[in-house]
Amino acid sequence: MLLYVALSAAWLPFSERLLVAALGDAASRGEIQAVNGALYVLASAALLHHLIRRALAHRGPCDTQLRGVLDGMADAVLVVDGPGSVVDMNRAALRLFGAERREELFSLAAELLERAQLQNPDDRPAGADDLASLRALADETGTRYEARLRRRDGRERYVSVSSAPVPRRGAGSQELSVVVVRDISDVKRFEESREEFFSTAAHEFKTPLAVVKAYAQIMRRRGQGDPAGLDAIVRQVDRLARMVQQLLEVARFRLGRTELRRERFDLSALLGESLDGMRPRVDGRRLLSSPAGPAPVIADRDRVGQVIANLLENAVRVSPDGGDVEAALSRRDGEAVVAVRDHGLGIPRERQGRVFERYYRAHAGTPEDYSGLGVGLDVAREIVARHGGRIWFESEPGAGSTFSFSLPLAAEERPP
Amino acid sequence: MIPGRASVLVVEDDADLAALVEMIVSDAGYAVRGASDGAEALARVEDEMPALVLLDMRMPVMNGWEFAREFRARWGRAAPIVVVTAAEDARLRAQEIDADGWLEKPFEIEDMLATVHRFLDRPAPDQTAQP
Repeated sequence: MLLYVALSAAWLPFSERLLVAALGDAASRGEIQAVNGALYVLASAALLHHLIRRALAHRGPCDTQLRGVLDGMADAVLVVDGPGSVVDMNRAALRLFGAERREELFSLAAELLERAQLQNPDDRPAGADDLASLRALADETGTRYEARLRRRDGRERYVSVSSAPVPRRGAGSQELSVVVVRDISDVKRFEESREEFFSTAAHEFKTPLAVVKAYAQIMRRRGQGDPAGLDAIVRQVDRLARMVQQLLEVARFRLGRTELRRERFDLSALLGESLDGMRPRVDGRRLLSSPAGPAPVIADRDRVGQVIANLLENAVRVSPDGGDVEAALSRRDGEAVVAVRDHGLGIPRERQGRVFERYYRAHAGTPEDYSGLGVGLDVAREIVARHGGRIWFESEPGAGSTFSFSLPLAAEERPP
Repeated sequence: MIPGRASVLVVEDDADLAALVEMIVSDAGYAVRGASDGAEALARVEDEMPALVLLDMRMPVMNGWEFAREFRARWGRAAPIVVVTAAEDARLRAQEIDADGWLEKPFEIEDMLATVHRFLDRPAPDQTAQP
């Protein structure tokens, strides 16, 4: 490059004098300039050709190396341009999409999507808005989602798709995004067999519980055996059954397999039922509730009932000295809020931040460790969140806690 | 099978639980027949249509889903089916096979009796109305 600049600089002043000297004054000035110009262009072209060849020769091995790196990756990598066309990909992408040649995949990303039958995990077909590449082009960094991909050979793969915009180099450079598609089918398969395991576990645990409980109840009805002992058996069987159920719920939520069955119902009535259901298990504590007007919500009644039951159970458990448990329902700002208040242990301040964590038990390792699996609040949080509500608590160590959750109120039903 | 008494078909693979349910139903004054899987249950139905089927879902040989599908295909709604299941979500299981009711294991004896009464003590369906 420097050589070129030096030569050009030297050529301009000296070339004309050289030509004048060579051809003499006899030659016209115009001819001299024409020859000079032609020689100048020729020399420049030769030099530029040399420079470009050198640059390309230098870049060549680097490109090959980069290609090697990309092709060596286990994850599929696609480069997508502004209009959404796939402009490059690695070997893993070919394998994943079941294509043989790169050219097959140089189609619009949307077409590719259609052909691959990319679906969101909940079976909703993925729309163009979901396309990670397009979102990345809109400068969303680190977008990631999971999808199902049906290949042309009919085989189905679970994939995790993430993408990022490629930073532009200079004003003229192309708008690009890089999409990384990871095959997570093996992980999913494992999750599915785990789901099957939990379903089997439910059956295996609950069938013997059913036998034990029913026999205890039959003996009680027939006046055989020790009534208090039989009642204890029934109570403990119910407790075991609830724990099994809770563990299964956690597992199902973890897998995202729980579908909400939304229906319109009165939250106030459900709260009343939950309190009634809890009464046999309160050991002399008082369960209080203030009357509340109807609060219509559109939600999964069983699941919301479970949230209330979990809060009530916790409230009773952390009230070892038999304090009252109060449940209240209020309506505000388009929301129904259920609050469960106890006058029990309260949660130590340093442990309050972890209360909603799965398996975390706020009183574990303290003298006030009154059992429990540490999953109830996690399940409650998950259920409430899925309904678009919130869950929170206020707690005063030594004075008790209030756990509250909100659900959006349903619009008033107009009479037909 | 005692003529004139409504019969309940208990389909359950766990021998202890089957004996127990049969005892509860029989004590309540109903005739009971048992089957330890779906295939055996179909054979019982072929012998005589029960007035109620109490159906476990997870069973060897032929499970509750397969039994229900076969039953509906052959006899429609000739007898109500109540799912008795240890599944996490009994209601969902009942919906899946379009059952008439469900009981969760472990069940309350009172609930079991109430269910049996509910389906057997109502007027018998008009047989001529069946397809």
